[in-house]
Amino acid sequence: MARRGLYVDITLCMGCRTCEAVCEFLHGEKLINVYEPLPGIFTPITCRHCERAPCIEVCPTAALERDTDGAVIVNPRRCIGCMMCTAVCPFGVPSMSAKSKSVVKCDMCRDLRLEGLPPACAQMCPATAIVFGSIETLADKARARTAEILARIRLLRAPVRPFIPFAPR
Amino acid sequence: MSLHLDAMRFSFMCRPPRPPSRGRRVAIVGAGIAGLTVAGYLACRGVDVVVFERLEEAGGLLLHVIPELRVSHRRVLAGIEELENAMGVEIRRRVRVCGGEAPELEESGFERETIDLRDLVQEFDAVVIATGTWRTRRLGIPGEEAEGVYTALGFLFRMKRYRLEESTEPPPIQLAGRRVAVIGGDIMALDVAMEAIYEGAREVLLLYEGTARECPVGLYAIRSLETRGVRMVELVKPVEIIVEDGRARGLELVKLNPRTREPIEGSRFSIDVDVVINASSVEPTPPVEPGYLGIEVDEQGRIMVDENHRTGNPKVFACGDVVLGPSKLGYAVRDALYTARAVDEFLG
Repeated sequence: MARRGLYVDITLCMGCRTCEAVCEFLHGEKLINVYEPLPGIFTPITCRHCERAPCIEVCPTAALERDTDGAVIVNPRRCIGCMMCTAVCPFGVPSMSAKSKSVVKCDMCRDLRLEGLPPACAQMCPATAIVFGSIETLADKARARTAEILARIRLLRAPVRPFIPFAPR
Repeated sequence: MSLHLDAMRFSFMCRPPRPPSRGRRVAIVGAGIAGLTVAGYLACRGVDVVVFERLEEAGGLLLHVIPELRVSHRRVLAGIEELENAMGVEIRRRVRVCGGEAPELEESGFERETIDLRDLVQEFDAVVIATGTWRTRRLGIPGEEAEGVYTALGFLFRMKRYRLEESTEPPPIQLAGRRVAVIGGDIMALDVAMEAIYEGAREVLLLYEGTARECPVGLYAIRSLETRGVRMVELVKPVEIIVEDGRARGLELVKLNPRTREPIEGSRFSIDVDVVINASSVEPTPPVEPGYLGIEVDEQGRIMVDENHRTGNPKVFACGDVVLGPSKLGYAVRDALYTARAVDEFLG
């Protein structure tokens, strides 16, 4: 199966927290978090599902594994809650869940992927800051979105208004 | 059926086609991000959904007010289209739902038909109100009715409508060469100031009652506006719009004491401007008067709901900014999802 990735472009995030809302609704806790270290500067933090994932390497009980899409997944039956993964994660992503008494982290919406759907945050982000797809196309998709935004800025300054009208009905 | 990957998928929980109908019907009043999110969830649960929207197109603030630079209208429209064509959601445009003396809305009058909420409550198994915040708090100063005075909501709405039409007509609100005063410091004030720059305003002043550091949009956004030519004036409050022949000609301001934030005596001064845009906060606009069918409203105009997101009427739920007050897209989405789940349980 093709490896897939979830790419979050922090420069496009407008801090609306829609990703947090859909994530929390589906998983019972927020596995993506939008921080605002300075007013107006929004930084979403979630698992990058690293290619060489330090969390997988450090886990003493091999509770972290990679699924067929390439998502890094916690097996709660194996997890002992030592939080070594949190310590080695450059983003501090895995967190202890008071509910399940194990480490929880983004699973790239495993249940949705089984249905052939992208992760919820990628489906709903109004700012198109979250891109999901095969790792070969990921960077291209991200670039295409940046290109679209640059085009929109250019068109805003154009003397005529070349935007498409409301969808004809 | 294939997925529209470049759509905002309000029905992110399931793949089209929608599951078979459970024979339950829900009406949603308002097709903003909250209403559409409820519609998407319920469609995934096999509920027959009809959304009533007073404007020509669904999408609410997301489509009609938030500038194109933040949210792509194509993506929103594609999401609406998917709801209708693949998920079986019926959207009835230009239909306004009312009950009694509802609060006045800005940018009204698009409806071709008005329906009483009472009829929806009778016809449907449940009704969800998600009418958002379509009114701006007034400045409460003389001259507010003059020509050249707009609200940020009205200004952004009209400019975005204009941009979405393929038009060589001049914009509905002409700012080229004008001196524009924007009153406020939140994200809508920022968006208005950006629009004014794009439209070629001669001067754009951002007037805020606090300091730049306290602005909700953050110092970074303010400084980047300044590099584009916006001038920020801190610690001022408008006291009067100077009107000549029915048109705004200037603005009388008072300076505020940085510590107490009280007006400083004798500090009144005036500036010459042609356009004044009120970017004060927006207010909830329930479709009904307080108490109508048992739907109660608090002192801030928000619809009151219980822990199950239900209003005083057992068949009527409410969610989004009409319940929360002006918030964020994500907070409206969250509220909509839990409301949709509560409605789903209520339907049985």
